[in-house]
Amino acid sequence: MLVTIVEGGLVALGVYLAAGVLFAVPFLLNGAGRIDQDAAGGSRGFKLLVFPGVVALWPLLVGPWRRSRQRTERSPHRDAAIAGDRR
Amino acid sequence: MGHSYRAVGWNRQKRVYDLALIAGIVLYLATFVGVGFTLHPGATAETMLIRALGTGAFLLLHLVLAIGPLCRVDSRFLPLLYNRRHLGVATFVLGLLHGGFALVQFHALGDLNPLVSVFVSNPRVDSVAQFPFQPLGVIALVILFLMAATSHDFWLANLTAPVWKSLHMLVYLAYLLLVGHVSLGVLQAETSPVLAGAVGIGMAGLLALHLLAGASEVAVDRGRDAATGAAGSAAGHSSLGLSSLREEDSAFVDVCAVSEIDEKRARLVSVAGDRVAVFRYDGKFSAVSNACQHQNGPLGEGCVIDGLITCPWHGYQYRPLDGASPEPFTEKVPTFRVQIRSGRVLIDPTPLPAGTPVEPALIGEGASDG
Ligand code: HEM
Ligand code: FES
Repeated sequence: MLVTIVEGGLVALGVYLAAGVLFAVPFLLNGAGRIDQDAAGGSRGFKLLVFPGVVALWPLLVGPWRRSRQRTERSPHRDAAIAGDRR
Repeated sequence: MGHSYRAVGWNRQKRVYDLALIAGIVLYLATFVGVGFTLHPGATAETMLIRALGTGAFLLLHLVLAIGPLCRVDSRFLPLLYNRRHLGVATFVLGLLHGGFALVQFHALGDLNPLVSVFVSNPRVDSVAQFPFQPLGVIALVILFLMAATSHDFWLANLTAPVWKSLHMLVYLAYLLLVGHVSLGVLQAETSPVLAGAVGIGMAGLLALHLLAGASEVAVDRGRDAATGAAGSAAGHSSLGLSSLREEDSAFVDVCAVSEIDEKRARLVSVAGDRVAVFRYDGKFSAVSNACQHQNGPLGEGCVIDGLITCPWHGYQYRPLDGASPEPFTEKVPTFRVQIRSGRVLIDPTPLPAGTPVEPALIGEGASDG
């Protein structure tokens, strides 16, 4: 009985974390920079460092990412401006 | 500060801090294992390592929890505070190694998944002596993980400060869970009473420190009345003192004597519902709101480095003149007007908008007035 409950909980946790990994990859490649300008030019080390947190807390980041998507459109000028900001 | 994120904002101080931390950890683990084998030659290496890592993590957690109040009580502990988040991450890493080895050692041999086994073996919730102490360790480890994983500034900015703060307040819950984990675990393992005694001493010490720091906080907030009282008696000594000053400019309030602020340091005073840090540097005096824009760190407990007020928590810097961070950063804190009269420092209690430039008061100008 107890074993079944705990096993079920672990399976749920596994699914949750797997979803987190699926979320974290595009989020760190693109979304993080949209919800936070400072993250747009973030280094690879930065992305690696926040990755575990994104996997664990991804539901808290879905909302901000979605909202940010509707506001800013990508354009060559904007991308160049962000790239320039990084230097 | 207002620039692209990196993994760690390295500087010399942080490197020195981390090297000392790593050296300390290695030294502790080596000493523990060495002494352990001398006392218990029959113990296995795995057991020794599990214990060394567990006690190491628990000790570091004490340090993490003690630093805040220690710095309030005595500013000489400030260098410890500067890079506290690396201490937190180190605590998690040691805890993870301890838990990981314990899982392998005690739970990986059966048919059950070790993660299931932690929760289901020994489920005697009704008995103190047989209470399953290991799930407490697992929950504490999850909290330590969440804190370590969200220690980067990115999280403070994007989880929002209140959420981030509550998440990090869970450290106290983690501590209590670990007190349970250790004491109940020791009860079962029937190791020497030394560990149980140490846990008790640790708890009493942390509690005393927090109470002491709380008391000194209250003292600072009452400090304004005390300072005004001191000014009154100073006026009694020199008839030209504060009474004439009050007529000229009743808005200014007394902070302290010029000589009471050390060069490159600050004195705190409580006005307009919050604290103001009055700094002295190169014979000049400037006042800014005490709360750092980053995480409300106490600017007044920091010092002036390279002409900039430097927050003791993570090193954000502000010009004393206008409370603004130098380019390219964009942080700003409110400023206050300062005057020197009769060898005393006074400030206008009305906060000026963050980043407003204010002429610093000079020591020379007050002397002629007095
Ligand atoms: C997955 C999580 C954890 C598991 C499975 C676990 C397991 C264990 C086990 C089996 C023991 C008894 C070892 C022995 O007596 O030989 C123990 C003791 C201990 N644990 Fe943990 N633990 C976990 C997390 C933690 C964490 C996060 C900390 C501290 C930050 C911690 C600190 C300690 C301490 C101080 C002891 C006492 C050491 C001793 O027995 O001498 N544990 N733990
Ligand atoms: S630098 Fe982090 S609180 Fe001031």
